Formats: sequence, C-alpha cells, structure tokens
Amino acid sequence: MTDEQVAELKKMIHDARKPLNRISMQSEIVKMALNGELPAEKAIDALAKILQGAQDCSQVLADFDKHLMSLR
Amino acid sequence: MLTVLLVDDDTEFTEVVCTILDYLGHEILTAASLEEARQWLKQETFDHILLDFMLPDGSGIHLIDEINTLSKVPRVTLITGHPSVKGIIKSLTGPKVDYLVKPINREELENALSSKKSTAAPKTKKSTVKLHFGHLIGESESMHELYTLIERVSKTNANVMLMGESGVGKEVVATAIHDATGREGQYVATNCGAFSKELIGSELFGHEKGAFTGAVGRKEGVFERAVNGTLFLDEITEMPMDMQPNLLRVLESKTVTRVGGTKEIPVNCRVISATNRSTEEIAESKIMREDIYFRLAVFPITIPTLRERKEDIPDLATFFIDQLNKENETDFAWSSEQFAFLQAYDWPGNVRELRHFVHRAAIMSDPDSSLITLPKTIASPFTKTTKASSSALTAGRTIDDVERDLIYATLEKVDGNKTLAAEMLGISTKTLYNRLHAYGDITASA
Repeated sequence: MTDEQVAELKKMIHDARKPLNRISMQSEIVKMALNGELPAEKAIDALAKILQGAQDCSQVLADFDKHLMSLR
Repeated sequence: MLTVLLVDDDTEFTEVVCTILDYLGHEILTAASLEEARQWLKQETFDHILLDFMLPDGSGIHLIDEINTLSKVPRVTLITGHPSVKGIIKSLTGPKVDYLVKPINREELENALSSKKSTAAPKTKKSTVKLHFGHLIGESESMHELYTLIERVSKTNANVMLMGESGVGKEVVATAIHDATGREGQYVATNCGAFSKELIGSELFGHEKGAFTGAVGRKEGVFERAVNGTLFLDEITEMPMDMQPNLLRVLESKTVTRVGGTKEIPVNCRVISATNRSTEEIAESKIMREDIYFRLAVFPITIPTLRERKEDIPDLATFFIDQLNKENETDFAWSSEQFAFLQAYDWPGNVRELRHFVHRAAIMSDPDSSLITLPKTIASPFTKTTKASSSALTAGRTIDDVERDLIYATLEKVDGNKTLAAEMLGISTKTLYNRLHAYGDITASA
C-alpha cells in the first residue's frame, strides 16, 4: 500500500469519528433527559440525531469497504 | 463555576457541549474559528478553553502560544478526532494543556474541566494568625467594629456599599460578608471600571445570541450568576452615568433582561458595591446618581486604612509570610525589630502594599535561612503618588494649604522651572512669583 493510500484510509477513519462523536454526545443528552435534567423533547431530538449518526457511520464504512476493494 | 470558551466549527457538537456545561453550572462561550476565538480572548477572561485541533482557518495549536501570553492563562483542552495526534500535542504543549479524543462523553468533559479545580484547591497548612469570618485579619478596635458591622449586616438582605482607600481589602470584606451570610448562591465579583460602555451591559445583564456583532452565544450576566448569592460590584463609581438607570431598574424590579432579549429573569442577590471615593466626593463630583447611591448604600461600611490600625501590621505580615512559606517551602520568620520597622511606615497603599512588600522581602531573602532581608526602601512610585494626592485632598485642610502643596509639587515635577510650572498651573509667572514670595521662599527672587 502506498503512502497516499494509507493517508486516504486514515482520512476515512477520521471521518467516521464525526458521526461516532455525534452519537456519543447526543446519547449524553438522552441520558440527561431521562434523569430529568433536561426536557423530554430534547431526548426525542437527540435520538433522531443518533439514528442519523448511525446512518452516516454506516455510509462511511461502506465507502471504506468500497475503497478497500478498489485497492485489490 | 468556570468560564469556558469552546472553539469548534461543528455546530451540533458545540450545541451539545453548551447544553451539558450549562447544566453543570459553567458559563460557556463559543467560537467557530481561530479568529472568533481571538476576539473573545480580547474581551473576556476564561478559566478553561476547549479547543478543536482542526479549525477552518488553521490548527488550534496556533492559539496556544497566544493563550500563554494572556495575563491569566487558562487551562486548555485540545479536542481531536485523530488519536495519532496525541503524541504531537503532548510534545508541543505544557502542563496546563491536555486533550480529548473524539468520540467524547460527558464524564470526559467533566474530568477535563475539574482538573482546573483540583490545581486551584487551597493548601491545607494553616497560618497561626486568627482569621475573622475566614478572611479578615486584625485585633484592633477599628477592625472589631468592622466585624460587628459584618455580623449585623450578614443577618439581613441589605445592599452594602464598601468605602475605603485603594488596597484596604474591600473585596476581602465582600467575601467575608458573603461567607458570613451563608447564602446558597455563589459569590460573583466584577469590576465596573474594567469594561467599556459597550460591554458593561452584557457583563452585568448578559446577552442573547446575536444581540450584537460577536455575540455568538448566549451569555448570562453577573446578576444571573449571583442568584441567591452575592454580587460584588467593584469600582461602582466608575460605571458610566448613562448605564446607571439600567442598573437602578434591576435593583428596583429585581429582574434582569439580557441585552437583545425580551424575557424578564428574576434575580435575587445581595449587591455589595465598592468605591475608593468618599461620600462627599460621590455627592460633589456627580459620578453617581443619587437614587442609585441610596439603593446600593443601604448599609455603608468604611474600611479602616492600615495606618489607622498599625497594631495589626505584625499579624498581617505574619500571615503573608506564612502563606509564602507554604508556597515556597521556606521557613521565614519576622523579628520584633522588623515589626517595628514595618509599623513606622504609613502604608499609603494599605494592606495590598504591605503584602507586596512582604513578597519582595521573601524573594530577596536567603531561602535556606529563616531571616528575612528587608528591601532598603518600602515606598514604590505608585504609593508615593497616592500619598501625595490623598494628603492634598484630606478634609479639614485649607485651600491655601492645598494650593501651596500643588505649587511645590508642580515645581518639583519641572525641576524648578517657574515659567513651565506657571504654565502647568494655569497662572501667570508673576502670580507664581507672588505666591512664592508670600510663602517666604527665599529662592523665589532668584
């Protein structure tokens, strides 16, 4: 694998952290809402963002897979 | 409570961090770029900066050098999405910098912020000097009168105005009143003389997001932060006159409306204000509206100067040297001759001047010995000026006396050049000569 290819893969892994961070942070909002520290509607919004984050993560992994196949 | 700046261009992330930190009781401001962060650093002081590694206009690392030049250096937590950057961050940064790797959770955020608190925790070793209300030192009669006033007012909700010369410890007394009251809210201090006309409204009353250029996030004002606690407004007489009606409205209605907002927020706090001007000066110089004065000075307290309670100097000097001994692991102790030397001086800069003098003495002394080496002179140029101006303005002196002092002070300033002195004084050279003749100054004819 060339340096360029390694850099490209690293960038894709980095990109996957963004939706993961979204899931992690929005989960904290859900926890706070369930503990009564925030209004319940905040949890509904946060859950929608978590689902979107999971979709985005899945997309990044699919792109990653496609990229790996192209390297064969 | 910490004041935190979050520098990150991911708006969803900043929104969540703001929600969490707001809930935890911290004040948080946001910036989406290095440029915006620089603007905030010019306007505010922060306890902690959460800094994204990759920003649209450069790396967060660029900001660290600038942060290190600030008068109060905040802790910095770099946020990175790339674990491999950890090593680079470690090698580039100092002890006040750490990092978090995305994905981040609440616990990690709390831990990053609490590290500041633990480093700021007070040391456990205690001084032998008795502290009244946990802060005040002195067994003189004037201090015991002050303790009685503090005790009385702490049982009420009355607003207090602290008066006294610069350096007498007005903020320390404010803290003592807050602690004696045992209020559940926090003590919040701000300096009314430190903000421009444009910013003081935002500092006192807070602002809504987008209220003005640069208001990138919502900000609570000091009145809101001090709910059920104590708000200390230092240098109250330096507040611009046109801002005072807004303050009066808050004091009367006990509600605050953030700049750019419409909602009235109830605020219930004791306001302790402070000034180094006398009541006569406040009344004569028209620097404060009468209605504001009576709202703030429900219970005025005048703090004695250090020269009025010289018997407290040994206790104060011992307390300060004990503190320095603790910090520097030294074992300095005063001798009775040194106490006499300290008591012979008038300390126009009051307790603050004494504390700085003790610090200077500790630096000059041999750390392996318990003997304290005193600097040759006590007075600094600043304290000299204070002394001159305060003596010139002491009530009870005649106008002729003050005029004479002013003439000689001006002559000294211009090395005896009478033409220049007359020009500075706004009188003719002939009038100056006449005055000097009248004073019987033999050099006047020279």
